[in-house]
Amino acid sequence: MSSKITRRSMLRGTALATAGAGAAFFGPWKQNRVYAAASDKPIKIGLTHDASGQFANSGQAEKRGTIMAIQEANAKGGVLGRKVEYVWMDTETTPQTGTRVAERLITRENVHFMVGAIQSGTANAISQVAQKYGCVYFNTNSSSPTESGKNCHRVKFVWDGSGENFSRAAAKNAIDAFGKKWMFLYNDYVWGQNTNAATKKVAANYGADAVDEVAIPVGTRDFSAILLKIQQQKPDVVAAAVGGDDFKVMRKQVSDMGLDTSPAWLNNQQDWPDVYGLGADAAFGVFGTTWYHLLDLPGVKDFVARYQARYPTTRISVPGNVTYNGYVAMRELLRVIEETGGTDNTKIIKALEGRKMSADDRMQTHDAVIDPNSHHVQQTVYLARGNKKPADKTDYFEILTAADPESVRASADAVCKLESFADTPSYDQG
Amino acid sequence: MVDFFLGLLPHLLNGVALGLLFALLSLGFMLIIGVMEVINLAHGSLFALGAYFAVMLMGQDGGLPFAFMQAYYDLPAIPRYIIALIVAPALVAVVGMGLEICLRRTYGKDPLYGLLLTFGAALVLEEIIREIWGPAEYFLPLPKAIRGGFFFGDMIYSNYRIFAAVFAMAMIGLLWAFLNRTPYGAVIKAGAHDSEMVRVLGYNLSRLRLFVFAFGAALAAIAGIVMAPIWGVRPHVGVDAVIPAFVVIVLGGVGSFWGAVSAGLLVGMVVALTAAFLTEWSLLSMYLLLLVVVTFRSRGFAGKASALKA
Repeated sequence: MSSKITRRSMLRGTALATAGAGAAFFGPWKQNRVYAAASDKPIKIGLTHDASGQFANSGQAEKRGTIMAIQEANAKGGVLGRKVEYVWMDTETTPQTGTRVAERLITRENVHFMVGAIQSGTANAISQVAQKYGCVYFNTNSSSPTESGKNCHRVKFVWDGSGENFSRAAAKNAIDAFGKKWMFLYNDYVWGQNTNAATKKVAANYGADAVDEVAIPVGTRDFSAILLKIQQQKPDVVAAAVGGDDFKVMRKQVSDMGLDTSPAWLNNQQDWPDVYGLGADAAFGVFGTTWYHLLDLPGVKDFVARYQARYPTTRISVPGNVTYNGYVAMRELLRVIEETGGTDNTKIIKALEGRKMSADDRMQTHDAVIDPNSHHVQQTVYLARGNKKPADKTDYFEILTAADPESVRASADAVCKLESFADTPSYDQG
Repeated sequence: MVDFFLGLLPHLLNGVALGLLFALLSLGFMLIIGVMEVINLAHGSLFALGAYFAVMLMGQDGGLPFAFMQAYYDLPAIPRYIIALIVAPALVAVVGMGLEICLRRTYGKDPLYGLLLTFGAALVLEEIIREIWGPAEYFLPLPKAIRGGFFFGDMIYSNYRIFAAVFAMAMIGLLWAFLNRTPYGAVIKAGAHDSEMVRVLGYNLSRLRLFVFAFGAALAAIAGIVMAPIWGVRPHVGVDAVIPAFVVIVLGGVGSFWGAVSAGLLVGMVVALTAAFLTEWSLLSMYLLLLVVVTFRSRGFAGKASALKA
């Protein structure tokens, strides 16, 4: 068989080869960041904790928890025989900064994983970047129902209870105890809006009537007009989803006006760094939390003692829910790396999905599980109020109930649609 | 209709109280911009520093951990509060003097130099606060006499708000009397109008500027102490203060005492009423007011030049 290369066939061949090469080069294809196979180089974790802005104090509390877990792992010889290192950057309680920090941690610092979040807007921003690269990210403390709902991602795992979990734990009790006339206050950003929507829905299901709903701009420093308005509306219950510095200021002004006992206040969640140092009176109303340092459960006293030994000079002398969430999340990540034998994102994600964690291990009342469909840790939610008979000077909370995870499961999680593994870039920094 | 006005009345009174606090917030800012022609963006940090010094002087959480201070902390709350109101502003005045010395090289140059320097100083002071006191929240403990609430009709209002508003009125009155009824005030006012003429008349202009800046810093600190029980004390609380103070000064008109006071009252009223009836607009409302006023009258209510030409 003879073959003759004509000008026409050569042009056709060249065009086809160029088109083929172009298709391979320009995609569609997903970005993969896979480096050399596992080595003895340190495992590097990017910490995205706030040190400035609205949640600076909580961000630093969370950082103490994640670093404590890393240091404990290193004291035991590291993970897979490798040292665990961390690089921390201030996310400034700002979504734009969260995006910038996440990009930098992944592309410049080549971190294996990212951990940390207080504000939901920032957590969402970080997780979008994490999903783009395939980097597994732990949202440790931001609790907007959307984080494990419509803003969920295959690479993101949400460790705190959501606003809806806390509402479910509190709403029925509040209606039975105080009445059906409810007024809603919420911070006008993603966490406040979504938590309020979830609370309203839960309260309505139990028969509450909404007399008013007030959106409070983030950064509000004067609540006097709002407190006068509350008095004019005369609700039985005020359900508040106000967070960070705004909450601290509001609490102070509520207390000054003597409105902290009537009407009844339902403060969705009370983070320990927001009350510590202010006494039991600061913890007004009824609120939710995932952990308390005086729970009579296995491991709690030892954890508190280890925290105090590691942080002898910190102003917050006992760990609270924010430090706890940071600690248990980081500890679990390091365990999963050990179990999967590496840092491959797909293996890590699969090991985390549906992962069961015992109550004793997590120092909570009920066993916990990571929901494989929303990546939200389903855990015990405690309902609490200010302690009128404190056992010591740190005993601010009186724990009222310990709801099991199923009874407070958030309906918002059902709308989560995780990206497929095929649509999630593979990511392993070796 | 009667019900509507009865419902409005508490909000109007609250607006007046809030307005007096905004006016107090801007007094030090007004003095420095009027005499020194410097937009002092460190005003908020000096405000915060005053609050922190007061927390330190009131003791409890935030007090100095020295044994010799214990006898002082054992004093009743009222004398400690009075001491805090005097000593904390004095300490901040010293910081203000240091800042004025740094500013000297910018005098006579483009106002942007002074603005940038005070902006840098604000960042430095905030970080120093964070280093010393940490990121956590502090609250200024108050004497029992000014805590709690009182009833008017079937509503409760804060005792401290009334105290703070009356205190603000007293400070406004005292500052006015100082500027208008004392020879020192006359020199300061003359310096605001024509600093070179003051120098020609034999007054030491450097010393005058040092004094005015220290005085302005002390006023910022007093505002910080008064606002601390309402806003709380945290490293970036100064940002919460400097923005409304700037708005009040621009609205009132640079260098105008009564312009600043009336603008403070107007801002307080607008913020209080929008917070009551259109809460989501409450923060934006003061900026909308600024936009409207500056659009039609760039020098504010009673100023002689625009803020940017200060």
